[in-house]
Amino acid sequence: MTRDTSDSEGAEPTETDREDQPSDAASATTGVILRGEDVTKEYQTGTQTVRALKGIDFGIAPSDFVAIVGPSGSGKSTLLNLLGLLDVPTDGAVSLRGQDVSTFSDADRTRNRKRAIGFVFQSFYLIPTLTALENVEMPRMLDKTPVKTRERAKTLLQRVGLGDRLDHYPDELSGGQKQRVAIARSLINDPALLLADEPTGNLDRDTGDEILALFDELRAEEDVAIVTVTHDAYVAEEADRVVNLVDGVIEDTGETAADGGHGA
Amino acid sequence: MSLRHRIAGRFPRLVIARRNISRAKVRSILAAASILIGVVAIGAIGAGGAAFKQSQLQSIQAQGATSVYVSPGTDMEASHFDREDVKAIDETVGAATIVATEPGSMELITSDGTREGVSVTYIDDPRQLHEVERGGIPDNWRQSVVVSHEFAADRGVELGERLKLVSETETETGTVETEHTYRVVAVLAESQSFGGGGLFLPIEETGERQYSRVEVMTESTDRAEAVAEALRDRFNDRKDRLLVFELTSLVRLLKTLVNGINAFLAGLGSISLLVAGVSIANTMLMAVIKRREEIGVLRAVGYGKADIVRILLVEAVLLGALGSAVGLAIAVAVAMVANALFLGDPFAFTQSALLYLAGAVAFGILTSLLAGAYPAWRAANERPIDALRG
Repeated sequence: MTRDTSDSEGAEPTETDREDQPSDAASATTGVILRGEDVTKEYQTGTQTVRALKGIDFGIAPSDFVAIVGPSGSGKSTLLNLLGLLDVPTDGAVSLRGQDVSTFSDADRTRNRKRAIGFVFQSFYLIPTLTALENVEMPRMLDKTPVKTRERAKTLLQRVGLGDRLDHYPDELSGGQKQRVAIARSLINDPALLLADEPTGNLDRDTGDEILALFDELRAEEDVAIVTVTHDAYVAEEADRVVNLVDGVIEDTGETAADGGHGA
Repeated sequence: MSLRHRIAGRFPRLVIARRNISRAKVRSILAAASILIGVVAIGAIGAGGAAFKQSQLQSIQAQGATSVYVSPGTDMEASHFDREDVKAIDETVGAATIVATEPGSMELITSDGTREGVSVTYIDDPRQLHEVERGGIPDNWRQSVVVSHEFAADRGVELGERLKLVSETETETGTVETEHTYRVVAVLAESQSFGGGGLFLPIEETGERQYSRVEVMTESTDRAEAVAEALRDRFNDRKDRLLVFELTSLVRLLKTLVNGINAFLAGLGSISLLVAGVSIANTMLMAVIKRREEIGVLRAVGYGKADIVRILLVEAVLLGALGSAVGLAIAVAVAMVANALFLGDPFAFTQSALLYLAGAVAFGILTSLLAGAYPAWRAANERPIDALRG
């Protein structure tokens, strides 16, 4: 991986939070993948305005592992939407490697999302009619580089330990294997950030452990930052930082609460 | 890496769409079948109707629709044409065959002595109108008669036989009957044109060389119409010197009628295509709802809205193309039966038949494209995370 690896403390959960650096644009360009400042998101439902996020700050650097926890309706989905460039904030700014997301067109956001962000879901969302290999290739199908894509997909499936399951269909795979295919799929475009929405929600504890171990490997070896939304206290324990979202604001920051900060 | 994989890699949207179609086979087949029915309805009605029209036109042309019939008009001094008149007509019409005749009637005395009315055509040379089947017509055929195929067949008339005919002439004192005997020198070939039956006698037999009917034979109904127009312009400027009669107006009427009926029926067929469009829209909408999460994943991993729209439109068009292709095969088969029935040749496709068939396919595919538009738009505008988090 040739990505900037200047931050090496990411794998150690109790290290100093990089959020106590001044959050100016200059630092945003050095190592931070995604930064949010005073991010507010409002929705109109009928005549009512719902404020899903009420001004939060966050920054995600390479090989970070951040867990977002909170009751339902606390704004987790909204935050995940913003992190995944699937939406733009009503107020405040989200920037991807220093570029303000609100200046992007819909097509720009799609392109940047494809380049920088991988998604992993609770229900895997593999396409049932495609083999493991084809599922991994899917995000790059429109690139019209079938040979390169296939090589990369094979490498990734071997990387997640499914080198012998290339031609299996999703219903021939166990839950853990499906999630590993999904992780391989999310990595096909070399993303800097992996957004995992309840990645272990449908898995038993042992399989969940395997997935978390895989996340650790990916962070260590490929500097991929991982942000996960989870209900699972045990996943949160594994994270460097825990963002506790309640009613659209960050209440405390779990393991990194020591810095007394608001930052996540 | 197989060649197939490389080629498929060049058309990813098509591959994705095709795969999606084969996922819900029954639903896809039903949707395609609805398009098929519409295409068959339009194609078969259109092409079959075209064959019917063509056969009617052909038969009406065989009946003399390419000819113009001219008789002396009410303002003509004499009630017949002389040689000069015929020459003038000939000059006016240009490149066309002119046949001048004088119709009449006589009584035939049969072998058992009874009399029977027969129609007689006085003519310079019967070969102008019909081909000779048997016998020959001498240059000077006075005292000879040429009989039509029908006449010979009905009465068992043979070559060389003598026919006794009685003509009636009006004089001041009353009707004078004159008996003539003519030898049968030729039997004409069968003909479909009207006024073909009966006997043909030399024009000299009328006494004077005068004609009361001139037939102008042309190549086509359009040409016949032009000839009729020219004759009216030249002779009927102020006075009605000629009575010009042509069947082209009849041909026009028939064309209008058949075209109208055909368009109406094809229009009814189009309604079935609209129903098919509704069915495709329904199928696509169901597919989009069923694949909501999957489309959400595609959007999340970097497929743009336009990509989603295109994939789904390709899918709808594929359904339409599938139905149209099978529908076309059936419509062509039906049209071939119609061709064989009406025109005697299964491959005698007229231009308008081909247009109807092509139009049916184009309409079928276009309908599918339009039907796919709303479901595709709706799927592309679904917020990915909404789709993925339920």
